[in-house]
Amino acid sequence: MEGRLANMWRLTVNESKFVETALQSELRVDGRGLYDYRKLTIKFGKEYGSSEVQLGQTHVMGFVTAQLVQPYKDRPNEGSLSIFTEFSPMADPSFEPGRPGESAVELGRIIDRGLRESRAVDTESLCVLAGKMVWSVRIDLHILDNGGNLVDAANIAALAALVTFRRPDCTVGGENGQEVIIHPPEEREPLPLIIHHLPIAFTFGFFNKGNIVVMDPTYVEEAVMCGRMTVTVNANGDICAIQKPGEEGVSHSVILHCMRLASSRAAATTKIIREEVEAYNRERSLQKVKRHPTLAKSVVSGPTVVVKEEHRKSSDQEKAAEISREHVERLKLSSEELRSTKVEEVAASPTNFKGGPSKWDPYSEAMDVDSLKASLASKGDSVTKSSSKKTTNGSGNAEKDAEMSVEEVTGDLGKKDTVEATKQNDGEMTLKDAVKPKKKRKNKNN
Amino acid sequence: MGTEVSTSPTSLIDQTVVPGDVVLDLSNMTNQTIKLGSGLFQDNDAISAMRAGKLRYTKPNKYWVESSHKRYIPRPEDAVLGIVVDSKSDNFWVDIKGPQLALLPVLAFEGGTRRNIPKFEVGTLLYVRVVKTNTGMNPELSCTDASGKAAGFGPLKDGFMFETSTGLSRMLLSSPTCPVLEALGKKLSFETAFGLNGRVWVHAAAPRVVIIVANALMNSETLSGTQQRIMVEKLLEKISE
Repeated sequence: MEGRLANMWRLTVNESKFVETALQSELRVDGRGLYDYRKLTIKFGKEYGSSEVQLGQTHVMGFVTAQLVQPYKDRPNEGSLSIFTEFSPMADPSFEPGRPGESAVELGRIIDRGLRESRAVDTESLCVLAGKMVWSVRIDLHILDNGGNLVDAANIAALAALVTFRRPDCTVGGENGQEVIIHPPEEREPLPLIIHHLPIAFTFGFFNKGNIVVMDPTYVEEAVMCGRMTVTVNANGDICAIQKPGEEGVSHSVILHCMRLASSRAAATTKIIREEVEAYNRERSLQKVKRHPTLAKSVVSGPTVVVKEEHRKSSDQEKAAEISREHVERLKLSSEELRSTKVEEVAASPTNFKGGPSKWDPYSEAMDVDSLKASLASKGDSVTKSSSKKTTNGSGNAEKDAEMSVEEVTGDLGKKDTVEATKQNDGEMTLKDAVKPKKKRKNKNN
Repeated sequence: MGTEVSTSPTSLIDQTVVPGDVVLDLSNMTNQTIKLGSGLFQDNDAISAMRAGKLRYTKPNKYWVESSHKRYIPRPEDAVLGIVVDSKSDNFWVDIKGPQLALLPVLAFEGGTRRNIPKFEVGTLLYVRVVKTNTGMNPELSCTDASGKAAGFGPLKDGFMFETSTGLSRMLLSSPTCPVLEALGKKLSFETAFGLNGRVWVHAAAPRVVIIVANALMNSETLSGTQQRIMVEKLLEKISE
């Protein structure tokens, strides 16, 4: 017990008096103006629907997941939205693990009201089978560091995660049209949620019996302030939620002033969120682009590689030998290339090209992730291969898809000339790889 | 154990060392008495670092490792800033950012008797001296120096307090004066108290000055001397606009 006493953060008389005195002269302790916000950074994670928001010292992470469940009896056509908050003890010495405290519940409720009551997330589009199956969207907010004003930061984290979240596509099928088939992301692109508008929360702190209003209070200011209010507004100027949890009474003119301040800032913050999401989506879609083989000789960034061509119907033994040689070949490339998520064009020298369209069909083979992992794990010497076989078809360039996630790559590439080819090899895929996964694919389909 | 043995004692001085680095080789230094401070450990002839930080040396023969933390480990004769948590009949409970609350006897003041016990409310900021730190016991404090005089110890009135790392406090207390304090002192007049536990108190006539000084000090931990001076100049320019 004493240990916890020693760990608590304590407010000194000096700090509280100084904060109040400085605010009389419209000065804030960190040098901000009364209505200035701290620096806001929004980052996204690898998976869809994960965001990390930093507002000054405050640090919040948001995760969105979705599940198929039975709908509520009184709303058989609507999906549901639920918010869970976790106030990690590493954020603040006063946070305890386990059951959420009062402030955690309040934060969850403010964000929930802002999203649900204003119908920001379209729940009717989440319905799959009326009365039987709907999508239940769950938002998890983790507070990592409490530097003051958790509500605003958590709200932005929730919005950023919702906007970038993609749920699996599903179709209704089966014998009597009652079965729901969920399509994996390799089969069908996951879909975004329909979000009509972004409700942004703005928190105000009141000082000096409600006469002084401050936006985005820091940790110390929160300890000193005598009252607070949160207004959730969207860019259209609609007020989605207001929360004023008791404490000091404030005159109505001050309340209206706060609401005006909030709506004037909503557009700017919405713009920031949308821009960050745009940038993130652009980056992700660049990762997915499958470039078609071209004839142009591209800049070589890796060592020269000679690819041994192989007919698609080669025997297993040959395949195995090929694969191992390929692993070696791939390993000659830097690991950065292997991990790079940029798709680069692979080019063979013009002499390779024998004419004819590429036989590479992007939708028939899956990439073999395991072989790639194995290749990354093992070490190989650089080996130059000399080709031994000739192919029947003309060869295009091998298309290298650098994505490590399971993207479909066809195996029809097959044929290549046995000429020394300089190519920009991302390392993920070679023609031989296309052959090998064919076996595996059958297992997956079963 | 060690990664490399320094051939001369000066090679690792003022450099960052990590636990396991052998910083001194005694076989090279004969007929010398060396004083090892905190963070160093002797293993026959090799002196190795036990903590991560900078290796420091003062003439004639003192070596130690200095590191910067957000938490404070109380040591005797340290001057720290404490916050009163509770007052009992014979002790004040004071928080000094250590693993335990510290005790300040009600009589540990200059001219302190049972008749004139000071009344500190919860949240009072005190400039105190650590007297005893025995393991397992709460540290003991005093508001007098070793000879019984007040010497500046006691409650700090008004002003503003903020918390930083122990390394920054030490830097601000070093002599010659830290560049950021010099640069600020040329243009502004203010009062400061630095606790070795990472707490800093600043006081000036105008709140504006306090805010400038506090922010300048908070930003100066990782800056070099010239960078600190430049930062202060920029800050003062901005303010005087």
